[in-house]
Amino acid sequence: MDEKRIPDDGFLKGDVIRIVFNWLLIVIAAISLLAFLLYGIPALQEIPPTGRTIITNSDELKKDESYKKQITLIKRDIQRLTWRYNSYTSGLSYMVINTTDNLFYLYRNKKLIRQGHCSTGSFKMLKTEEGRSWVFKTPKGKFWIHGKTKNPSWRRPDWSFVEEGLPIPPQDHYSRWEYGVLGDYALSLGDGYLIHGTIYKRFLGMPVTHGCVRMNDDDLEAIFNTLNIGSKVFIF
Amino acid sequence: METERIFKSSDRRAKIIAWIVIVILFLIYYTIMAMIAPARKMEALKSEYCYKQNENNPVDERIFTDSTYLDLLHKKSFLQSRVTMAATDSIYLSIRLSDSTLNLEISGVTVHRAQIRRINISTILSENDNYIILSMLSSPLTISKNFSSIEKEPLMIKMAPKDTSEYVPDIIPDTADFEPVNYIMEMDNGIRLHIYQEDKLKPGDGLYRSLFDIYHSMRYAAKTFWRVITFRVPDYQPYIKLRIPRSDAKIIYRALPEKGQIALYF
Repeated sequence: MDEKRIPDDGFLKGDVIRIVFNWLLIVIAAISLLAFLLYGIPALQEIPPTGRTIITNSDELKKDESYKKQITLIKRDIQRLTWRYNSYTSGLSYMVINTTDNLFYLYRNKKLIRQGHCSTGSFKMLKTEEGRSWVFKTPKGKFWIHGKTKNPSWRRPDWSFVEEGLPIPPQDHYSRWEYGVLGDYALSLGDGYLIHGTIYKRFLGMPVTHGCVRMNDDDLEAIFNTLNIGSKVFIF
Repeated sequence: METERIFKSSDRRAKIIAWIVIVILFLIYYTIMAMIAPARKMEALKSEYCYKQNENNPVDERIFTDSTYLDLLHKKSFLQSRVTMAATDSIYLSIRLSDSTLNLEISGVTVHRAQIRRINISTILSENDNYIILSMLSSPLTISKNFSSIEKEPLMIKMAPKDTSEYVPDIIPDTADFEPVNYIMEMDNGIRLHIYQEDKLKPGDGLYRSLFDIYHSMRYAAKTFWRVITFRVPDYQPYIKLRIPRSDAKIIYRALPEKGQIALYF
């Protein structure tokens, strides 16, 4: 008969507890060390330095002519800068377009006169097997109205055919022209980008366009009547 | 047998004590190096932005301890910074900690305003009576790196159909959007702007924000650690941590260019 030595039950328990306790200590020490490096050190770095500026507000200095001169100079600078900054914002009508939420805001004399939904670029990238690609996004920044058109017609660009799997026709081909799809008015922002109407009104408020800004009929009319050639359009 | 056990036990204890001493010494060295960093940063800023006397317009340097002058300088710096940014046609951000607002502006026109719900700012940046800091803020801060939980431009790639039989019209896009919005913008002068979403749309949003924060804290700690173990003083990056509504955070991140500019007023 094979005789096996069975370890003392008490000894086994004690051993396991000690091992678990040791590992627990190691884990706690590692976490504390990590927390100290991640948060303790940055917190210590934020202890206010000793060399902070001490505000004296010396009365003697205030009586000094050079002090008065410096104060006058800095006040003049502030006035000049304020005037310059305000000169960027004229009282003319302008429009703001929020491409993240697909909203527009129309201003006249710096007052909001109309706001509502619009549709902007879908952020889709159309790729062909031949390696051509187009990104459908509305550009951001400062633009101005380059031209205004009533009853605009749309000259379909190459991507419009590629997107539908159609062969690309010659540049002056009649199939490039479509009528009535841009609504009653169009305002050009340059580089082929337009603010126009849409037949897909249920998509207003969504990012679905190829880069143009689509509007509701009433909003488009108000914008057409408010903005002039040269009016600014801010897109963000 | 008993003697051997006692010897082993005392040997292990000695080893543990030696390790503890090594770790403590390293931590002391690490802490000293890390605490030198803000002073080094301030020295670097001083050498770049300290007042240089002009022979035609000499200035009594006591003026830099005068609150009236510093207050005017504070206003001037902010205005100067905004005028510089407004001269470009780009989108920029004005942070006004004094009235807790973030303004997205283009050429002097405020196109979007967000309310700041919580502010946490480095000590060095909260010194609004320091000539050096005010001078630094007279030119815009330029973003050099972005780290974000959302994409700047959420591009979707679509392959063109070969012919009309393959063409599938676009379906209505899914505008349901609950992605957590947290990001860090690192400026060219080392300042970090952290923007976190304040509202919790989903139960996990708070946890996600913490994980985002821990991940980036680890990244910055790793940088510090590497410099310290190579016997160099780590780079100190002053921070501004803001919590704003999620929708505003998303609008601001998407609107600002990769290398966008920021003006700060506190």
